Amino acid sequence: MTLLRLISFQYVRKHKLRWLLTLAGIVLGVAVFVGMHTANQSVLRAFHQTIDRIAGATQLQVSAGEAGFPEEALEIVQNSPDVRIAVPVIEASVNPGRGNLLLLGVDMTGDRSLRDYDLENNNDDAIDDPLVFLAQPDSLLVTRIFANAYGLKIGDKLPMSTMAGPRDFVVRGIMQSGGLASAFGGNLAVMDIYAAQKMLGRGRRFDRIDIAVREGVRVEQAQERLRKLLGGGYLVESPGARGQQFESTAQIYSLVSSITSMFALFVGMFLIYNTFEIAVSQRRSEIGILRALGATRRQIRTLFLGESVVAGLVGSLLGIGFGLLLARGIAAYVGAMLSEVYGVAQNVEDVAAEPWLLAAAITVGTLTSVLAALIPARDASRVDPVKALQKGKLQLIGQGENMRRRIGAIALFALAVGCMSMSHIRPLFYLGYLLAVMSAVLFAPTACNWVTRTLRPFLKWLRPVEGALAADSLIESPRRTSGTVTALMLSLALVIALGGIARSSYKSIQDWLVIALNPDLFVTTNETLTSRSFVFPPEIGEGIATIAGVDLVQMVRTVRINVRNTPVMLVCTDIASVARKAHLPPREGNPDTLYNEVAQGKGVIVSDNFALLRKFKLGDVLELPAPDGTLRMPILGIVTDYSDQQGSILMDRKVYIEHWKDTAVNVFRVYLDKPSFEPAVRARIQEMYGGRTRLFVFTNQDLRAYILKLTDQWFGLTYVQIAVAVLVAILGIVNTLTVSISDRKRELGVLQAVGGLRSQIRGTIWMEALAIGFTGLVLGFVVGAIQLYYTLEISRTDVAGLRLDYQYPVNIALVLVPVILGAAWISALGPAESAVRGSLVEALEYE
Amino acid sequence: MNKWLVALAACTAFAQDPRQIVEEVQKRAQSKSQQYEGTLEVVDAKSKVSTKRWEYSRLGAFGSSKSVLRFTAPAEVKGVALLVHNHPDRSSDQWMWRPAIERDQRIALQDRSTRFFGTDFSYEDLEERDVNQFDFKLLGEETIDGHPCWKLESRPREKKVSQYAYSYLWIRKDHYIYAQIDAFNKAGLARRIKYSDVQDVQNIWTARTIEVFDAAKKSRTTLKFEKLRYNVPMDESAFTLQALRRAS
Amino acid sequence: MIQLQQVSKRFDGKRVVTALDAVDLSIAKGEMVSLVGASGSGKSTMLNLIGGLDTPSSGQITIDGERLSGLADDDLTRVRRDKIGFIFQFFNLLPTLTCIENVALPLHLRGWTRKKAEARSRELLDLVKLGHRMDHQPDELSGGERQRVAIARALSINPPILLGDEPTGNLDSGTGAEILNLIHDVHRTMGSTILIVTHDRGVAESCQRTVRLKDGRIIGDERRSSAA
Repeated sequence: MTLLRLISFQYVRKHKLRWLLTLAGIVLGVAVFVGMHTANQSVLRAFHQTIDRIAGATQLQVSAGEAGFPEEALEIVQNSPDVRIAVPVIEASVNPGRGNLLLLGVDMTGDRSLRDYDLENNNDDAIDDPLVFLAQPDSLLVTRIFANAYGLKIGDKLPMSTMAGPRDFVVRGIMQSGGLASAFGGNLAVMDIYAAQKMLGRGRRFDRIDIAVREGVRVEQAQERLRKLLGGGYLVESPGARGQQFESTAQIYSLVSSITSMFALFVGMFLIYNTFEIAVSQRRSEIGILRALGATRRQIRTLFLGESVVAGLVGSLLGIGFGLLLARGIAAYVGAMLSEVYGVAQNVEDVAAEPWLLAAAITVGTLTSVLAALIPARDASRVDPVKALQKGKLQLIGQGENMRRRIGAIALFALAVGCMSMSHIRPLFYLGYLLAVMSAVLFAPTACNWVTRTLRPFLKWLRPVEGALAADSLIESPRRTSGTVTALMLSLALVIALGGIARSSYKSIQDWLVIALNPDLFVTTNETLTSRSFVFPPEIGEGIATIAGVDLVQMVRTVRINVRNTPVMLVCTDIASVARKAHLPPREGNPDTLYNEVAQGKGVIVSDNFALLRKFKLGDVLELPAPDGTLRMPILGIVTDYSDQQGSILMDRKVYIEHWKDTAVNVFRVYLDKPSFEPAVRARIQEMYGGRTRLFVFTNQDLRAYILKLTDQWFGLTYVQIAVAVLVAILGIVNTLTVSISDRKRELGVLQAVGGLRSQIRGTIWMEALAIGFTGLVLGFVVGAIQLYYTLEISRTDVAGLRLDYQYPVNIALVLVPVILGAAWISALGPAESAVRGSLVEALEYE
Repeated sequence: MNKWLVALAACTAFAQDPRQIVEEVQKRAQSKSQQYEGTLEVVDAKSKVSTKRWEYSRLGAFGSSKSVLRFTAPAEVKGVALLVHNHPDRSSDQWMWRPAIERDQRIALQDRSTRFFGTDFSYEDLEERDVNQFDFKLLGEETIDGHPCWKLESRPREKKVSQYAYSYLWIRKDHYIYAQIDAFNKAGLARRIKYSDVQDVQNIWTARTIEVFDAAKKSRTTLKFEKLRYNVPMDESAFTLQALRRAS
Repeated sequence: MIQLQQVSKRFDGKRVVTALDAVDLSIAKGEMVSLVGASGSGKSTMLNLIGGLDTPSSGQITIDGERLSGLADDDLTRVRRDKIGFIFQFFNLLPTLTCIENVALPLHLRGWTRKKAEARSRELLDLVKLGHRMDHQPDELSGGERQRVAIARALSINPPILLGDEPTGNLDSGTGAEILNLIHDVHRTMGSTILIVTHDRGVAESCQRTVRLKDGRIIGDERRSSAA
């Protein structure tokens, strides 16, 4: 400990910048780890919190997927002898202008028995007397937070666009903060459920029934009996259970985040390894003195490991700080995505990590740091005190160790290939992935050496002195270089993989768009196409069909239903008509009979990603929960369809209406006689319905642009990755060069003494940096190819079910070349300056 | 909820058994139909007053009656109507007609501690008390507002679910009508209901003013009956959802 | 050829150290001078200043008619590479380069073509009798051989001035004598002006002139008519 304070602290103080840069590695890794997991946890917590708070005293909930169920179910439930209270609920996320608002439609005559609305100033008139809501359907209870955000007080009007046209709602009460009012981050409004039906175009349907069971009846008992009473189409579960399936999806995101943070930590590990290697070589004489003064090998090793622990702790703490900041952004993204999928709106209000996560982060960060320092610490302990005190050539990396590492790399690679052949066993697949990465890491120094050796003649040809010296500097000190190159390699591999996946999916989605989304106009209830809160009555579609110039209107109803406990998109439309208009060849199934049979209700078509993710084959029978009981439908075809990330099921609209008793429509697909009619038809639709309902008309181009914009967000992620790679490159290269310069101080001094100009000294350092960057690029491109394979596999089987072609992202690779070389050059600027500014006398001096 | 008026009627008797007293109260209140215009006045702890008016008609006797209640004031609730079908063997069916959204809706009043439309009555207070669901005990005789009364204690039997632990009932000896009810829950006095302005209406002694005091909220609701008549000829078809819809 | 006028060098640290104190020295073209003195007497500092590796705190240094003070770094480097060859105690060969590459280094730095630089280096290595070791790396050579490579490198640009910092200091006496002879040969055949810092009395006395330094001042300047 004293050693640590006396020796290490001084050293760190002298090399503040380098240590900070190195810590950045750990910071990055831990930040990604903490950020991703905290975001997941926070979203999950917010989700549960919203469910809990909205649930109030609810013990059981009856639901039937997104389409809801006819009102009659309420009567059945209310008449059950097990039920004390049963109240209907509609829950929808709407946007009245400034962000999402969770709209809770309730029946005030009974709802207060389950939920406590807790109005401000004890002004409970609005809810004590259900007549306020019953007689005035424009009544709204809002939270204090929402009231403040919109500057509302009691009696104020809040205009909202509804399926019955624009309407003014009146604030009749403001809920105090806390409890129900803090659900969905406080962005909550309560209105009469029947008014909500009208507003959202839902017809006589509810989303849910909240139940409290009669005293003396066990909840499980009541649940069992209600299930029997309602049949297989209904879900009867405790409010908490709603969170469970959500958790399973969140787990997939945890997996993805774990992989990403593992990579980040790997990268961080190499940056730290690099710094420690460097520290050991720089402090060789210091170590020599310590050893000469009687320090044991063990003490030296402990000294360095102690430093790594401190570095790890500091890095982890900083990482946690950044991670929590990062989490906020990620949480918003994941939250939006999951609430879309699960229809449970949540709003991540407080992003806070759980203690165990922080403990894990510190452990992982510190462990990474210690692991990274193991080899350098061992090297330090092996420093020969006599040799160390003579200033001269450094001890080089042992040939034997190189050999062992190469053999290890080959063995791991062989194992990885073995695992690949058994990739249907998922743990083995992931093990193989890990082994492949490890193998690449072990092989990196050797590969790095090969590349720089190959590079030497070229560099020498370019600049006989500077080039040769730059290459030699890399070849002679593999440890100085390989850490940086490995870090760079890993982070570039990630860029390549992500870029590859973006490129493939972009292309597939574009192809699909052209074939499947070919109507001229799309009429929807929402400006964002994914929101399904509002629905149309079919009459509007019939009306649109009568407009001159309209060839055909296809009504599409999309609802999420639960299949095997995962939410899947059910897409219902006139299959025969779609088959006529969009020539989408099925991936599997008989193209001649398929559409006819599905149109007759003999089965369904599923999307490729559904089949892949849920492991269904052609001919399998799906059990679909419909309000009138479980509907069994064989899979007659599998098509490429990117409608939904979780997979989609295509069913004929007639079948849907028959079983779900729901005629609502989400989208009208409108085909025109001639494309040139588009402006006229569009104007006519607006004229007919614009003031009467909530309606948005998109042209085909609008829609494609919208979908491609969503896809572009993938590219956004790629850019973030590129930024990280650049950061890693800069960190590592600055580090390596700083040491390279101090190691080669003498050499550079000689160079100047025999007549090297400053520009020539700079040149050699720049070339060294570019060579590091180049080597990193070469290795990164190779490992990226492997990484891309695994990423595609993971996304195909475990995350998205997208069957994407393996396409190497050549364009991104080409962009990376100047970017990374540029970053390398920029990182070389500082070190190069410090190299030419140093005192020549000192450089040439002897001790 | 029409049942509650039954409890208001009274006539003279001399039974001494507590159960018989209550049965006599019920018997004397019986009529084939009833009609009145009611005025509700709620005075809360801050002396804020709110008023509602409605028209009420009931057809049929105890246990299987049908009734319609239609609000007439204030303006924003005008037209809202309540249709109740009582059944002797199960809980009542209730529907509401809402002119603003032009639809009827079923309402389930399963939780009888819920307050009735912003008044100090709970739904339970307004229900008819089935003699068979309570145990009665005669506690003595007291005078309420100058009228000699029996003081009874009533406790719900095990099967009966009630928000109250027990109640004290004061029943006037002269007409067998309630003079006062104090209802207690675990915390103490929950509500006090006072019956006054007793008149003979077509041979049924009826309290024309009922006042409820909510001990917890310190607010007071007064209900007054006007144009009260019994045994008015009525048509069964007026007590259906279709009629409700038509009348609006 | 070399002129020092009132040259002082102070090192500003926590304690100001005066390494050279207003020294005047003049060395004529073709002279071979040894610089002696105890450790810390300022002899290395003087050599560094003359070689343009360092700049004086005050005073004027003129090399072959060029005044060093006020020159920008790159101009200083140009003077150095055109006029001065260095021979170091520890040879300072670049370990990764072969002998011929080491010798060619200054030529490449001056932008000579590969062919020309190689021919010249070959010539010089032959001169120092290392023609057979051209493609060896420094760590495959003996100490004497390394110093000969270093001398060849110093001569590569044919500089008018050769500066030696203990050129024999790291060699056994036999090899040291060999190297000293080589330097004398160079002096004779090329007529270079040579300044050698040394501890070795024998080396010092082999020179025509010996300048003695103590505490940053010249305390003796002795000329011999003939070398030993």
